[in-house]
Amino acid sequence: MEKADARTRLLVEMKQVTKAYMSRKRFFARPSQTVLALNSIDLGIEQGEIFGLVGQSGSGKTTAGRLLVKLESPTAGEIFFDKAPINQLKGPRLKAYRSKVQMIFQDPYQSLNPHLSIAETVLEPLMVQKIGTPVTRMEKVVHTLDTVGLSPGEAFCQRYPHQLSGGQRQRVAIARAIVMEPHFIVADEPTSMLDATIAIQLFRLLEEIKSAFGMTILFITHNLAAARYMCDRIAVIHEGHIVEVNTAENIIRHPEHPYTKKLIKVQPGFKYSR
Amino acid sequence: MSLLSVDNLTIGYQTKKGLLRAVDKISFRLEKGGSLGFVGESGCGKTTIGMALMGLLPDNAEILGGHIRFQDRDLVSLTEIEWQQVRGAKIAMIFQAAMNALNPVFPVDEQVKEAIVTHQPDISDSDLTDRMKELFDLVDIPIGRMKNYPHEYSGGMKQRAVIAMALACNPALIIADEPTTALDVIVQDQILREIKTVQQKTRTGLIFISHDIAVVASVCEQICVMYAGQIVETGTRKEVFKSPRHPYTRTLLGSYLSLDNLNDIQVPDMKETPDQLSDDGECRFSSSCAACNKKCAHSSPDWIDISPTHKAFCCNPEMIRRGHGKS
Repeated sequence: MEKADARTRLLVEMKQVTKAYMSRKRFFARPSQTVLALNSIDLGIEQGEIFGLVGQSGSGKTTAGRLLVKLESPTAGEIFFDKAPINQLKGPRLKAYRSKVQMIFQDPYQSLNPHLSIAETVLEPLMVQKIGTPVTRMEKVVHTLDTVGLSPGEAFCQRYPHQLSGGQRQRVAIARAIVMEPHFIVADEPTSMLDATIAIQLFRLLEEIKSAFGMTILFITHNLAAARYMCDRIAVIHEGHIVEVNTAENIIRHPEHPYTKKLIKVQPGFKYSR
Repeated sequence: MSLLSVDNLTIGYQTKKGLLRAVDKISFRLEKGGSLGFVGESGCGKTTIGMALMGLLPDNAEILGGHIRFQDRDLVSLTEIEWQQVRGAKIAMIFQAAMNALNPVFPVDEQVKEAIVTHQPDISDSDLTDRMKELFDLVDIPIGRMKNYPHEYSGGMKQRAVIAMALACNPALIIADEPTTALDVIVQDQILREIKTVQQKTRTGLIFISHDIAVVASVCEQICVMYAGQIVETGTRKEVFKSPRHPYTRTLLGSYLSLDNLNDIQVPDMKETPDQLSDDGECRFSSSCAACNKKCAHSSPDWIDISPTHKAFCCNPEMIRRGHGKS
């Protein structure tokens, strides 16, 4: 976790991004209300770093992640990826963007299609993006499964999600995300459903992948301890506002915003720490 | 006389592959007003223990042996009619998913009242109102919100309402099964405080089940660490967390990320949990154990006392007494 190396450029930038959700209009309902999930936030993620986004439920952290992979579009503001705006991307150019940006979802029990074997799950992005020939694709899948620790990859290819444990499923979700060799991965609470012994192995895996492929990762979590372990820099988000951005060490040791202090205080720990 | 004492409890699930021992020869006791925490990974059998104590085991489960003695009664032999006298009145449970534990079509106060009226059918209206006020006061829900429906409550308030429901009949024992798992850290902190103060005020026995060791550490005095259906280490909070002896406890503590132990994180090499179909008495943790050696590969583990309250279940007494894995 060397943090000293000189960073050169921003890979992802959010400028004054606002996202409002309207509650759906219903016949009997009162006039619809808008909920501001994100309130003009500015965020810059540098090439090659693991950036943490920490907040409690409802703070807008998942919304930020979904905007970055363009599952949703901002109400106002502009998002830049590699200096190019992504708001207007459509058709083939959006598809090309999706090959560079991937997401790992929170719940491995819901994010994998139960009808698809592991090989089919990991193969799908390659087929959609028309990369390689059927033979090279399959090699790539097996290789990727080995990379994420599902080895030997051949043995897992024909299995289905219900035959795997939670940790193994999340490894499949990671394999599916990295098989395209994306530049940027959004990991939305990837371990909140898993036991501590499994979570720590996945954190180590994400770190290995990051250094092997030179990826940039946005790590979304409510667990400050996990964010500090994984991340170079951390942003704390509260009710749609980014309240503090700093290096991981500084945010824990010298928190400035009262909300950050509160988050640190309620983090479970051992009274009898070893 | 302990409030609850469990001896050699074994519970099996009938599966396609055969009888699976989800809980294997478990013994523990709990004094009046004491708190006991079960911690372990998913599938280690901790919820099965809670369900057995409530008499709510699913149909394919069977108690294969052992005793559950609660207030001088053996719960294992109770019939369903007798269980209904105990459940809710003497032993109450706070369930895992508070979001789903409340009925969406009834106001919250009706649902809490139901618990009281079921067990005290001849309670007067004014007594009932007083008791309700007292309960909602205890769990910090404003009296004015009593008649709200569950959807008008936040996640934390729903969990408080479920706690009020569990406390409704002044039970002697409360079982809390992962009561904060679905909540975020700030609400979790409030609920844990709530459970702790309520438990101390009412002198109720508490069994707290969680996969999160830090949460268990913040609530319970006594800790049982479980692995693959067995208790592998038990002791007071200080003993287990300050000087963990069993290799599994050390693995669990070493892989837990908290803000104060970042420097000695170890990434464990966990193998699949062994199948719990056989009853050969061999150590179940041996395939993932960092301290496993040839000598203990095929011998049976046994309880090793470290102090009167602290003991571990292992094949290697020297290592357990020495207190570290290096030889």
